[in-house]
Amino acid sequence: MFRLDADKKVHFCDGVTRRDFLHAGTIAFLGLTMPQFFELKARGAVKSDKDINCIQLMLVGGPSQLDTWDMKPDAPAEIRGPYKPIKTNVPGIEISEIFPRMAKHADKFALLRSVYHTAAAVHDTGCQMMQTGRLFQGGLESPNYGCVLRLEKGPKGDMPPSVLIPYTIGALGGNLPHGDTAGFLGKAYDSFVLNADPADPSFKVPDMLPPDYISAVRVDRRRDWRQVIDQSVSYFEKTDQDAKLMDSTFHQAYTLVTSTTAREAFNLAQEPEDVRKRYGLNRFGQGCLLARRLVERGVRFVTLNMFETVFNEITWDIHGSATSVVKLFLPRRKQRH
Amino acid sequence: MRAVVYRLSIISPVVFALLAATPRSVLQSQTSQPAQEPYHQTEMGGARPAANSSTNRAASSLHPVAAHSTFKGVALSRLEVLPTTISILGPRYTQRVVVEATFVDGHQEDVTSEVQITSSDPKIARVDHDAFIWPQSDGHTTLTAFFHGQRSTASVEVSKFTAPFQWSFRNDVIPVMTKVGCNQGACHGAAAGKNGFKLTLRGYDPETDYYTLTHQALARRTERIEPAKSLILLKPTLTIPHGGGRRFAVGSTEYQVISGWIAEGMPRPEDSDAGVTSIEVMPREASLQPEADQQIIVTALYTDGHRQDVTRWAKYESGDEGVAAVDQEGHVKMHGYGEAPITVWYQSHVTFARLRIPYPYNIRADDYKNAPRHNYIDDYILKHLQVLHIAPSPPASDSEFVRRIYLDAAGILPTPAEVERFLKDNSPDKRQRLIEQLMQRPEFVDYWAYKWSDLLLVSSNHLSDEGVWSYYNWIRESVAADKPWNQFVYEIDTATGNARENGAANYWAIHRDPLDISENMAQAFLGITITCAHCHNHPLAKWTQKDYYGMANLFARVRLKTAGPTIMRPLVGPVFENVTVYSNPWGQFTDDRYTKPLPPKPLAAKALPVDSPQDPRVYFAGWLTSPENPFFARAIVNRVWRSLMGRGLVEPADDMRDTNPATNGELLDALVKDFVKHNYDLNYLIRAILESATYQTSSRPNDQNAQDEQYYSHYLIRRLPAEVLLDAYSQVTQEPEKFEGYPPGTRALQLPDAAVRSYFLTAFGRPPRQQTRESERTSVPTVTQALHIINGDTLNNKLRTSGETIDMLMKLGFSDEEIVNYLYVASLSRYPAEAERAALLNALREAQSKQVEGVSNPRRAALTDVTWALLTSKEFVFNH
Repeated sequence: MFRLDADKKVHFCDGVTRRDFLHAGTIAFLGLTMPQFFELKARGAVKSDKDINCIQLMLVGGPSQLDTWDMKPDAPAEIRGPYKPIKTNVPGIEISEIFPRMAKHADKFALLRSVYHTAAAVHDTGCQMMQTGRLFQGGLESPNYGCVLRLEKGPKGDMPPSVLIPYTIGALGGNLPHGDTAGFLGKAYDSFVLNADPADPSFKVPDMLPPDYISAVRVDRRRDWRQVIDQSVSYFEKTDQDAKLMDSTFHQAYTLVTSTTAREAFNLAQEPEDVRKRYGLNRFGQGCLLARRLVERGVRFVTLNMFETVFNEITWDIHGSATSVVKLFLPRRKQRH
Repeated sequence: MRAVVYRLSIISPVVFALLAATPRSVLQSQTSQPAQEPYHQTEMGGARPAANSSTNRAASSLHPVAAHSTFKGVALSRLEVLPTTISILGPRYTQRVVVEATFVDGHQEDVTSEVQITSSDPKIARVDHDAFIWPQSDGHTTLTAFFHGQRSTASVEVSKFTAPFQWSFRNDVIPVMTKVGCNQGACHGAAAGKNGFKLTLRGYDPETDYYTLTHQALARRTERIEPAKSLILLKPTLTIPHGGGRRFAVGSTEYQVISGWIAEGMPRPEDSDAGVTSIEVMPREASLQPEADQQIIVTALYTDGHRQDVTRWAKYESGDEGVAAVDQEGHVKMHGYGEAPITVWYQSHVTFARLRIPYPYNIRADDYKNAPRHNYIDDYILKHLQVLHIAPSPPASDSEFVRRIYLDAAGILPTPAEVERFLKDNSPDKRQRLIEQLMQRPEFVDYWAYKWSDLLLVSSNHLSDEGVWSYYNWIRESVAADKPWNQFVYEIDTATGNARENGAANYWAIHRDPLDISENMAQAFLGITITCAHCHNHPLAKWTQKDYYGMANLFARVRLKTAGPTIMRPLVGPVFENVTVYSNPWGQFTDDRYTKPLPPKPLAAKALPVDSPQDPRVYFAGWLTSPENPFFARAIVNRVWRSLMGRGLVEPADDMRDTNPATNGELLDALVKDFVKHNYDLNYLIRAILESATYQTSSRPNDQNAQDEQYYSHYLIRRLPAEVLLDAYSQVTQEPEKFEGYPPGTRALQLPDAAVRSYFLTAFGRPPRQQTRESERTSVPTVTQALHIINGDTLNNKLRTSGETIDMLMKLGFSDEEIVNYLYVASLSRYPAEAERAALLNALREAQSKQVEGVSNPRRAALTDVTWALLTSKEFVFNH
């Protein structure tokens, strides 16, 4: 799902691009025909600038469509889930009763009910397609959307173009890549991974500032001397991607270290308390809030992983046990949706 | 006439009508009409006009004069018709052939379309212009191909031509359905089937599929009286709507096989049906040229001894699309330099062809002949490099070697004194002696014990503190004693008793559920992922759900009892104290999928009877560690190779399956054989790899191997593992890391437990030991790591603490130059080059002359910053 900010002007991912990403075929996901779309565009209701910002919420484990946004109320009982559909504020769109809040905002989101795939039924393949638009074949890994944006559009200011919060997805059981990397573009286009829990009261980006005893002069000269020493192994970069990548990560790190925008973007404490509460005082909720702040300050693409794995943890990987497991989500989910 | 009708039914209905009234002799005549050319022209996509049916299109010309045996300017050295021995059973099968030319420069070409093939007796079998061999009557004939003066022959044996023929459900119908995808995982092969129609995944269970097709759905799927009305023909031809789209056309070979089988009364699969024992691919390997085309021929061998061309029914995949692309007819198009395995899959058998485009370098044969060879490993590597036209790098220098081998074998840096001693040593066997000395050191034991602790998930997230220590100590003692790997694993697998006394028994306290146990056993000791089969048959390997649940039943009798309290670990769950492991004499594992327990069965071995009183764990351990188990030694050999060489021969190193072949299969086979012959001795294996010239090549690439990342032409540089890097920082700064709950001076590699808190270790990719998986450990540089090195407290605190290396050197009165020299040797195992020394000394002088904010001792600060720069340089952070 794509998160759309209700408080502000609705900021779609560029329609055409998203359609291409998802191979969904038409612009019908907006509930619009092409002529309608162009009419709206002409009237200024659809923003026409080409800038792309996107937040992708990865509901790790894969919620079942039957229990969420694409119920099959007319299907036989053994196919239907345990939940009933409810009306939304858009006539004709019904979603699951477990999303009463979301149902009030159906005019602000689009549902793609035609997305499916025919690859091996493991989480990994689904993640590949959801995060790159492609199934990986012949050893070729397609790049994540955010990484493509990074390549095509570059950074806006000091902010990394693509950020992944809070942690990367670990094992999903298939031992295949998940499509969260830059793939064949090379790791230099990888997303910046937060590696911290935004719901933690002492949350900050780890190591973003030098300790006070290392002044700027020393930071600079360390950087220069390191380069002097590295000249002797310039051949590393010819043979090893990781060596090349290390230079790039240092460069990015130094950009972050010196940026005031970055410092502000990651500072959740600047948000009013009631806003933080409305987003939910948990990892996912605060992650959503952080994603919004990042996009407002120049990050083009934010991936928010709800979980890191489908093992040893209750996730969306519910395998037909919707009633027992989904209930565990309810407190959190009511808030979000 | 009956036989004629049988034989003709494969020919398209139009042709059938024409031929039904034709005397048989006409059919076999060399002058038969083009319209009588059988199906391959239309079905195989061949658009060329039909030529004389007894030979291919060049048949009318005379044999070319053997004056020039060159083609495109290169002399021909050999011509081969593949396969060289052909047998065709019955009237309905054909055999595709390929003519492969080898040139004096070593490259091959598929010249089938350039060549004429003749049959010595077209009354026995004839050749069509697409190089298909058609049986005509029983007997023997010889195929001859001529190409630029070279000649090659193949023998053809046709038998049972007039015997009654029936399509076989097992050997004809199922392969057709598999090829067109009916029973693939995404379609009717899904665990739940599709639209009420469920086939077994890729046809692994013909009996069930037979029942499904002939009895289920009111038997509408197959209409015996009027085959064309069968759903299994109407749907895939899109005569009526089909969610899976059009899979084949009316009248196609696929159609004819299925409709023929229905019309013949749908003979059921019998136990007496010939089964496939193996498949062969031709050419097995070839060095081709950019943009070359190559047809692959696949032959199945059956239990009754007959062979059959199954090229059309096999499935294909390229291991490297950048090198070679393959379509589903087995036609390969070559693209970039390198080597690609073309995986071929027929029924449950997998094999592959190695097709390559050698790199465009001219390397003299002497360069390979004269390259250093220390043992058999080098022979296999150089042989492979030679066919790929990749040059090996020269041997690493002594200072490169000494740093490298300390890090790879024992996870430590050599001290300045050890570096100097080694550099000054002039004896020719000094590298061998160094390897031997290192392998005797306690750090060697720490390093490998740590590795196996990763594999076995030793962690206080799973075990009590006592359990962690007892397990770790058992592992460490085993490494110290150089316990053979088969014995090590056998002891785990059969462990009983109190886990405080028998460390190996802790395995069973970590893995308590039969499914988890069997998944972990396969992953850890066989390098095989069977988890997929939990919900469905494995999509990439041959393991079925029955294999999976049968294997789980081996572990249904393991019992734990705890005498101590259960500890609740925050965020983790309960961990048991004082565990005793024993086996019940009875007990079965059942799953809802099956009405009764499946007989306990190791993956690829005979099952035990369900009610056997024998401890199934012992039975499993016996199979697992026996030399007859083809997976066991391979898995560990590949892991050790990856650890020392930077890349597994099979990669990912723990994803061993037929569909994921090794880059150098011959070498892996040889290593495995050698390892088994030497009684599963890990130290022997480690020594063999470290002693090889291959391990000892320089990491500096040359112009003729810079693109190589997988054939070991040069040492693959690699970022130091998290623990090794942290220990190296502690070693150079002489400022040990402090780990909560461990005595001062404990190195990261001496930690028995991966749950010990350390931001540094986590950020640099220490495996959490949650799941046995090589990819749990990562070495990818990240911005997080860079930030931690620049701003974080791990390295900065070590450099700042008073009494660390710089303080000591200053106290000793060393000059800046002496200190820079010392730091270079201590961290990089070499002296600075003149230019480096000059640049740094200049910079130091300048830095010390300036007043810097917050710095009370400018010299100390400047030298600290030089140390920082050295310790964060790529030359330090990477082993090279």
